[in-house]
Amino acid sequence: MPAMSSVLANKSTRVILIAVVAIALVVAPLILPAFTNQTLVRIGVYAVAVLGLNIVMGYTGQVNLGQIFFVGLGAYVTAYGVNHDWNIILVFVAACVVPGLVGLLVALAAARLGGLAIAMVTIALPIVGVPLAKRLDEFTGGSQGTSARFTDAPDWSGLYNDQWQFYIVLLVTAAAFLLGRSLVRGKYGRAFGVVRENEAVAASMGISPYRTKVLAFTVASIFGGASGFLYLAAVQYTSPETLSFGHSISLVAAMVIGGAGSIAGALIGGAYYVFVPQLTNAIDPNLTTISQGAILLVVLFLLPQGLVSLPRVVRRLFRRRTSRSSLPGNPPQNSPVHQPATDAAREGLEKTERQDRS
Amino acid sequence: MGTFIQLVVDGLSTGSIYAALALAIVLVNQATGLINFAQGGMAVLSAYTAYAFLQLGLPLIVAILVAVVISFLMGAVIERLLVRRFEGGDPDTAVVVTIGLLTLVTGISAVLWGYNNLAFPSLFPLTSVEILGAVVSVRSLATTVTIVAIMVVLQVLFLRTKLGLALRAVADNPGSAAFSGLPVGRLLMVGWGLAAVLGAIAGVLVAPQLTLTPGMLDTALVYALAAVILGGLSSPIGCVVAASAIGVLENLVAVYVPLIGHDLKIAVPFVLIFVILVIRPQGLFGRKVVVRV
Repeated sequence: MPAMSSVLANKSTRVILIAVVAIALVVAPLILPAFTNQTLVRIGVYAVAVLGLNIVMGYTGQVNLGQIFFVGLGAYVTAYGVNHDWNIILVFVAACVVPGLVGLLVALAAARLGGLAIAMVTIALPIVGVPLAKRLDEFTGGSQGTSARFTDAPDWSGLYNDQWQFYIVLLVTAAAFLLGRSLVRGKYGRAFGVVRENEAVAASMGISPYRTKVLAFTVASIFGGASGFLYLAAVQYTSPETLSFGHSISLVAAMVIGGAGSIAGALIGGAYYVFVPQLTNAIDPNLTTISQGAILLVVLFLLPQGLVSLPRVVRRLFRRRTSRSSLPGNPPQNSPVHQPATDAAREGLEKTERQDRS
Repeated sequence: MGTFIQLVVDGLSTGSIYAALALAIVLVNQATGLINFAQGGMAVLSAYTAYAFLQLGLPLIVAILVAVVISFLMGAVIERLLVRRFEGGDPDTAVVVTIGLLTLVTGISAVLWGYNNLAFPSLFPLTSVEILGAVVSVRSLATTVTIVAIMVVLQVLFLRTKLGLALRAVADNPGSAAFSGLPVGRLLMVGWGLAAVLGAIAGVLVAPQLTLTPGMLDTALVYALAAVILGGLSSPIGCVVAASAIGVLENLVAVYVPLIGHDLKIAVPFVLIFVILVIRPQGLFGRKVVVRV
């Protein structure tokens, strides 16, 4: 492990690694078949939603069961804007701002409640959202849903539609992940961490738990809206089914399975959200729900910090086997929402005081 | 006036279903300090169990009783094998565990019985009687009466029996309860079992109306959670009052406020919650919890 981390710490190595990944991502859609491109696009779509959920749930410790509502809202706003010939930049901004404002309103009320009650209120969002979407058929097209095509490749690019969509999603997803990473590693990320660990400590440090929770929830809603924009870019159609209760639960499952409190975990969560239903649907559609529940519970039992912690756990097991006598027993860590996985966040907590003084 | 009384009685009947689920949630919360989001899903599984025994040729009431017994065991086993490990830990993790459980039991129902709606026979006759000039269905009345009777039995169990005393002791302070020789683990299993029984009864009573599907009680769960928030987690009576009020109010609003109507009536309790949160954050009947650091 020391050798590994020193390689990663080497700045030039890291720059080269990032460059290689970036080039691979840019070149990939030109080589890969259309179906693979579409799958990757959908992973990007849901990774952004899971990232938002991770910010409010994994980093700030507030259980949010209504994230899909904001995804659906973003998708509907996008469809409405595209069908009314708005500028595409304006559509994207609206798809982020409208869910953000709704999220802010919900959070202002819900964050007054203690931890678990936020979960109890947010579970209502998708359940109220579906009939609401059916009712407001002027905007949403009712039960039929609404479609909007705006991601056909322009002629000058010489690209196929799936490749063009890939680049749009890649651009927004990469931006979202960079922003999310900066957020959780910066001042606000440390505030999120303190509020999750102990609200009284946060208050005594001058961090308002209420405002921090509202902020985290609003940011999550904005990411949800961006994910909705991408959803419409990729699928070009949305209906009340998009924001159903089951999908909201699946997002939470994907977040925990990927890794709560981890940026990379959000990407894994997005991949899980797309791949596992694809796999189980191929075997037997009735198995989708049961397999998801079983996987979630198994992960909670065996890998409480999600799939992203798998390499670390394996390494620890390996080390314990080689030098069992010298190691003091590690306390069992069984809380996915509690423990931040990133080392950066831990460093950050120590720095807080210094930063505030400057 | 006739419609009004009918709406109120029907509202009380659906309200009593929400109340049963809400009580189950409060029961689990008092015993183990977590919110069981799987309570509705477990109740659906119980209703399916009753359906299975019905298919085997048992009479309805026997099938329901067998399902109730199995539900008790199911609740106890779930507590022991699954929830025990996460008790006393981070409450947010425990919430995610119960959500996993909800997905799992819904999945089990779906694999065994599929997603198609199944007809479940009603325990009560589908006739109606006239009260004060209003036509009121016997089923609504009987559902309400059954649930109220079960609540009275529970109340007696908790306040007048040794088991109830032990259960309350464990809920109040597990540590001291264990020191005075109570089998805390087994009592927690009993608590979960009783909650599952409450859910099972709510499930079989509402199944004829909604028809059996794996997601049958998802909406009812949301109503029950709303009742729990309004009534306060520490107050069983508050929850029952809140659940009945929600049942009646949503029925009246659905008919008398066309803007909301039947499709959006589920928004009613949550609008109510938002208003009440601003005025009384601890719930209508709940006590303010003071947390020491």
